[in-house]
Amino acid sequence: MKNQRSLPLVAAVVMFGSIHAMAGNVKIIANPSVKIESISVSEIKSVFLEERNSLHDGTRVEPVLSKGGPAHESFLKEYLDKNNDALQDYYRTLVFTGKGLMPKALRSDEEVAAYVAKTRGAIGYVSSTAPVDGVKTLTVYQFASDGARKLISRVEPAYPMILLSNHIGGTVRVKVTIASNGTVEDVELIGGNPILAEAAMAAVKKWVYAAGRSRTQAEISIPFDASR
Amino acid sequence: MRRRTVWLLSICFCAVRLCLQAQDFKLFDRQVQLHGFASQGFIYTNDNNWLTMKTADGSAAFTDFGANVSMQVTEGLRIGAQVYDRNLGNLGEWHPSLDWAFADYRFKPWFGIRGGKVKTVIGLYNDTQDYEFLITSALLPQSVYPLDMRDANIAHEGGDLYGDVPLGRRAGNVSYTVYGGERRDSYYGGYPYALRETVAPINLTSNGGPQYGADLRWQTPLRGLLVGISRMNQHDDGKGTFVPFWNPAAGTIPYREYTRHYWLNQYYGQYGKGRLRLDSEYRRTYIYVVDFNGTSTGQADVRGWYVSGSYRVAKRLHLGSYYSHYAMTTHYGGILGMAFPPRVDTSLPENHIYDKVVSARIDLNRFWNVKLEGHFMNGYGDGPYPDGFYPGDNPAGFKPNTNALVVRTGLNF
Repeated sequence: MKNQRSLPLVAAVVMFGSIHAMAGNVKIIANPSVKIESISVSEIKSVFLEERNSLHDGTRVEPVLSKGGPAHESFLKEYLDKNNDALQDYYRTLVFTGKGLMPKALRSDEEVAAYVAKTRGAIGYVSSTAPVDGVKTLTVYQFASDGARKLISRVEPAYPMILLSNHIGGTVRVKVTIASNGTVEDVELIGGNPILAEAAMAAVKKWVYAAGRSRTQAEISIPFDASR
Repeated sequence: MRRRTVWLLSICFCAVRLCLQAQDFKLFDRQVQLHGFASQGFIYTNDNNWLTMKTADGSAAFTDFGANVSMQVTEGLRIGAQVYDRNLGNLGEWHPSLDWAFADYRFKPWFGIRGGKVKTVIGLYNDTQDYEFLITSALLPQSVYPLDMRDANIAHEGGDLYGDVPLGRRAGNVSYTVYGGERRDSYYGGYPYALRETVAPINLTSNGGPQYGADLRWQTPLRGLLVGISRMNQHDDGKGTFVPFWNPAAGTIPYREYTRHYWLNQYYGQYGKGRLRLDSEYRRTYIYVVDFNGTSTGQADVRGWYVSGSYRVAKRLHLGSYYSHYAMTTHYGGILGMAFPPRVDTSLPENHIYDKVVSARIDLNRFWNVKLEGHFMNGYGDGPYPDGFYPGDNPAGFKPNTNALVVRTGLNF
């Protein structure tokens, strides 16, 4: 009976979820050897453009790309500011001037997830609804101002059981306002499944950042991985 | 004969397949990559011979290829090398050269260092000018990237300091390269060839010297817009032999020339949005040389610019066009000054080349393309520094206009 009552809700969520996937959101995945739980948009960009080969905590990483598909297109648009032609030319320029290596590019979300799972330091992206095993999904954030704030205490959002049991995942994007003392003052929803958003916002309100000189804002993407 | 051709094609196909598969492997648990490229061109011109080829008859003496190997040795250290060879009419002549070979250590995203033989970063394409697969056109605008003068600025033996500095979300990103070292002309390059082809031939057996400069480029907050500036200084010292034209009875004697000033400024911008790419660059090169064993001087002020646009009209088809503008003034002193008056009127065809170009590029697959291109040139700019048209290749004199058809195909893996 309980399940029957939840069917319309699940249907709505499934519909919303598919629209969300069409919008092209991706999740950033990493091999479990990567110690961090969250990563900034600018750090993702510099890793995939080979401007750096280690993360801010010193972990060495290897970028892994998709050869094409909606996740790849979304990733290029959201994180790299380049279309696929420009990105391929960029990598060829690196390779033929000796300034970089061609990153691994795989055919599907499944291949990317499998490679990331088995390769130490690998970091890649798959569509937000793709099932992933043996990898960790990273939270992505972007500070609106230049003053990046270190996350000191993080509370994981509770996965709504109704969605988890129906294998519904996705990514919630929120904008947080962080007070100078490090507490989260305000959380504003940018996009995502409303049920997941409620859980994400409740958790983010409990996060604590390092104290700063002034109030700062950040955009955060919180993945909910139904395959976990 | 037919059977032999089929065999040959099969072997080529297998070799390419092997190369494509063998480009990434591990050695001592370190990632190693092999990459390569090759291109073959054909040029037909209606009148003047161009780029040291017999293009008025149609010439396919336009081949180049290269191969490189790179290895990530440690987290920050990468090493690699590339061999390059070309035959462009009377240039290159199949003499391979070490194109680049260096060790690169990146300490931080904002600071790295590389040392060895390094491609020189000037403008949008100086370090990538050999790689036709990166652009829509078959030839880069010759006013800024002359094929025959490739050796003048292509690489230096020395080092670079480089890095990328994010300026925040609202200010974009800045990349810098500061370099210094020594560069050398190949005997088979355009400048020594030009000196051999003059009315008073000089056999320049060595030419080169220190080269240093910097490049700063700003990826602006406006998505897709890049602007930059480059500066390069170099000092050349050239040696060889010649017969003094003012005293032929002296026979062949040693020759020396050296630059008193040699600098280059380049300003550039690039905008890309979706399938559209727009480029524009301006380059000014100033050279003051003391030549003929100190008896003469020559000054050349070369100004080139272009505006180009390309659009990918279909998955495998790109169309493009550019206008390339080249103008040069020259002044001579000493003995040369008595023989040659200054050339300052850039409206004369001997002092300029205005080139209107239309291009089409077809990508047969990810690794192989074919290009068709039409050039409509006014002027031949036959000054003391090479610019595509050489008196020795056009013994009957120059016509003011040249139309050229360029067909080029390239492979890369």
